[in-house]
Amino acid sequence: MKRHGPDKADVLQGTLILLVLRTLDALGTLHGYGIARRIEQISQDVLHLNQGTLYPALLRMEQEGWISSKWGASDNNRKARFYSITAAGRRRLIRETGEWKLMASTIERFLAFDPASLAEERE
Amino acid sequence: MSWHRVFVARLRGLIGRRKRERGLDQEIQFHLDQLTEANLRSGMSPEAASFAARRSFGAVEPMKEQYRTRLTFAVLSTLAQDLRYALRTLRKSAGFTTAAVTTLAVAIGANTAMLSVVNAVLLRPLPYHDTERLVMLWTESPSENLREGRTGYWNIEAWRQSQSFVGMAVFDGVSVTLTDAGRAERITSARISSSFLSLLGVVPAAGRMFTDEEAAQRRRVALVSHAFWQAHFAGSPGAIGAQIELDGVRTQVIGILPAGFHFPKLDAQIWEPHTLFPDWDDRRAVRGVDTWSVVGRLRPGISIQQAQAEMTALARGLDEHLPPAERNRGVTVMPLSLHVVGPRARFALWMLAAAVFCVLLIAATNVASLALARGISRTREFAIRAALGASSFRIIRQLTVESTLLAVMAGAAGSLLAWMAIRLLGSLDADILGLPSPIGAIAMNGTVLGVALALSLFIGWLVGLTPAAILRRRNLDLNSDSGRSIAGSAATQRLRRALVVGEFALAIVLLFSAGLFLRSWHHAEGVESGFQPERVVTIELHTPLQLPPPQRINFYNHVLQEVASLPGVEKAGFTSDLFISSTREYVLTTETGARSLPDRVELRRDEVSPDFFSTVGTPLLAGRFFSHTDGPDAPPVVIINQSLARHLWPSSEAVGRRFKFGPADSGGPWFNVIGVVADMRRQGAERKPIPQIFESLAQNPSGGGSLVVRTALDDPLRIAPAIQSAVLRIDPLAPVAAAETLETQLASFLLPRRFQTLLMATFSAIALLLAAVGIYGLIQYSVVTRTKEIGVRMAVGAQRASIFRMILGEGLKLSLAGLTLGLVAAIPIGRASSSLLFGISASDPQSLLVGVFLLLGVSVLACYLPARRAMNIEPVAALRNQ
Repeated sequence: MKRHGPDKADVLQGTLILLVLRTLDALGTLHGYGIARRIEQISQDVLHLNQGTLYPALLRMEQEGWISSKWGASDNNRKARFYSITAAGRRRLIRETGEWKLMASTIERFLAFDPASLAEERE
Repeated sequence: MSWHRVFVARLRGLIGRRKRERGLDQEIQFHLDQLTEANLRSGMSPEAASFAARRSFGAVEPMKEQYRTRLTFAVLSTLAQDLRYALRTLRKSAGFTTAAVTTLAVAIGANTAMLSVVNAVLLRPLPYHDTERLVMLWTESPSENLREGRTGYWNIEAWRQSQSFVGMAVFDGVSVTLTDAGRAERITSARISSSFLSLLGVVPAAGRMFTDEEAAQRRRVALVSHAFWQAHFAGSPGAIGAQIELDGVRTQVIGILPAGFHFPKLDAQIWEPHTLFPDWDDRRAVRGVDTWSVVGRLRPGISIQQAQAEMTALARGLDEHLPPAERNRGVTVMPLSLHVVGPRARFALWMLAAAVFCVLLIAATNVASLALARGISRTREFAIRAALGASSFRIIRQLTVESTLLAVMAGAAGSLLAWMAIRLLGSLDADILGLPSPIGAIAMNGTVLGVALALSLFIGWLVGLTPAAILRRRNLDLNSDSGRSIAGSAATQRLRRALVVGEFALAIVLLFSAGLFLRSWHHAEGVESGFQPERVVTIELHTPLQLPPPQRINFYNHVLQEVASLPGVEKAGFTSDLFISSTREYVLTTETGARSLPDRVELRRDEVSPDFFSTVGTPLLAGRFFSHTDGPDAPPVVIINQSLARHLWPSSEAVGRRFKFGPADSGGPWFNVIGVVADMRRQGAERKPIPQIFESLAQNPSGGGSLVVRTALDDPLRIAPAIQSAVLRIDPLAPVAAAETLETQLASFLLPRRFQTLLMATFSAIALLLAAVGIYGLIQYSVVTRTKEIGVRMAVGAQRASIFRMILGEGLKLSLAGLTLGLVAAIPIGRASSSLLFGISASDPQSLLVGVFLLLGVSVLACYLPARRAMNIEPVAALRNQ
């Protein structure tokens, strides 16, 4: 699977899990299309998701026990698989959120960093 | 990482895989429909809406692929695919598949069968507790070159001081008369000490073992074998406590031994206290050599070497208490397993196992060579697959699946062949392998099957992946020529040539060994036996129990008269023992003029009736046979064999001389030598005849022996019932056994050799065939790939004959290289096996030459066809065809 070198999907994978867990935590039970829509809506269409990649991710999260799924009827009364977050998923969400925030603030600091201050410290 | 949860989930994914995939399809469809609908609502045309939906969803198939690999184990999900593909590939090249599977199946079958034999005979422990610590203890007599001598009871009692053993038990096998329902039969009774069974760790299946007290009090109690219990008590539990009559004495059955129980070389139906010998009080005092065998169990942590060292010291200490003639003997401590199958039979089996393994190597080499040739022609296929994105890992996995499939097919077919071979072995005569244990015990068990499977897989992978490894080294370049790169095929051809050379080296080793075995067998068959065994039957016969010795001769005379008068009988004789079971050393004193010369000779004494020699066809060399005048009242007379005559009187006539047993001043009578007969091979053709003395049966009538009857019938066994009823008419209580032909008995000595030779010859025939096929395949392929080159050669003027010679020479060069290599190994191997040979030297030139010419002849034959094909190549066609 890794023969094409660093995969864009792989980079997205980590954040995708966070996004899905957060969406499900906030909005309750959703089907795959619903999750994709919400992610795009909430991100105000900034995050453009290759929507198909959602499904392997959902499968993995279900295998990890973070979400559960069952078949149900959609708004327009069609058969659809609905996903909801589990207790393990919430714990995971907290962890991922924490890690993301730490990462984000670190990146933030890097971006805000002024070369002059480093030069001072060198003296 | 919660890998275990994922693992379980994936395991579960194995089951509802189809359903889950269908579910995914539904989800995708739903997702796309929703997207399309949303697009339509935003005002797109239907085409644009569905196109935009598919674009924002992304590529469906790669996603599904990813989903599938995640759903369950990636390896498993593609395995079925690989398997289907492999089956298709193997079916497509049916020729290769058939050749490879057949070749490997024969080799694996032969190896599995041989392994079953080795496992049953050499590796599987005896059915006792902790067999490794069981040993036999023998009296050793270096001066007589005797390592496994039986021992006197006094010595054994002294051995018990040893600290190396948990315990020792004694045993001795005797023949006793069982009287049951007005009939008598001779059976074997084992006289054992009370600790015998517990020492082995065997518990009676029913009843109990006798106690030490019962043995000391010489109580008539006995355990019976499972077979005896079935035959005489129909398996009834009432057998315990029942009475049987042994040698005329009532004996109580107190136990039944387990069904599988047997002790090597002691095929007894009755197991009694060792004290039951009538002369027990004398026997227990015997110092030195007697008839007891000893089995001991080593103390934990004591090695056989330690026990041996202690026993050697102990034996030396006993010398001062022994009569002078019994001194300077040692003790041999040897593993019980070695007692079961002696070193020679062991060696023969290992030799055969090595031979059959060589066959496997040759077969594997052949298949590897085939696979290499096939790998070359598949280069294009692999290149295309690589171009389409298959990783080299994937291609190798594909090849692995193919090889595994091939190996499993070969393994299954081989196991079937082995099963049939073992069934065949089981139906053969019992002691064909020269083994004491029942051959029926040979079976394919889990271990053997496991090894067979492992062997097949190993060979399958080796054979299947070698081409893969070679292909991997080269670039799988679709553009290289026609995908059949010349350089690559040259490298492969080099490897294939090396394989053929190896094959020929192994084949000549096998052929040479087979030659040695065949010639030894031929020599052994050709040995003058001293018998004319055609149309002679032998029946074991004992005198009735109640008959006092002086009247035995009347019984014998009566029987011989009656039997001789039966229609179809030409002559009848009697001997106390037809074949030699044991020998002894005697001091003989010969009368030479006025002086007496004492001499120690290992010899065999027997008593024979007047017509014995003429019945079995042993020629008289000098003097006369016994007559009815050589009775109890006449002077003692003997007939001796040529060996003894040469030993005692090397330079003069033996007839008319006298000798006595013991020193000159002993009280024994002088025996007159009245005749010299030719040496009889009474220990088998391969043992040198030992000195033998025959007394007149009338002067020393033994309690039993063999009735020999020369008949006029082609099937002499047909007369047996008449003989048996004639004996029973004279005395219904005379134990008379079943009949055998003398020919069968003589042949049975050679059975192991015949069997070993047959196997070795079969193995080398297979090897020869495989080597021929191997070189044929190689040269044929070489001609096919060199068609263009040969065409060019012819176009520039090469003669057809020289092309023919070139191709033939290519094959011959390879076989000669193989032969040379093999001969280097064959000579030492032949020398190592010299203990198995008979009548020829280990470097027997005839075996060698026949092997070499056979192999060369076969390789010429195998190269002839491709050489002719090369010769008939039309240069124009070959060149146009490029």
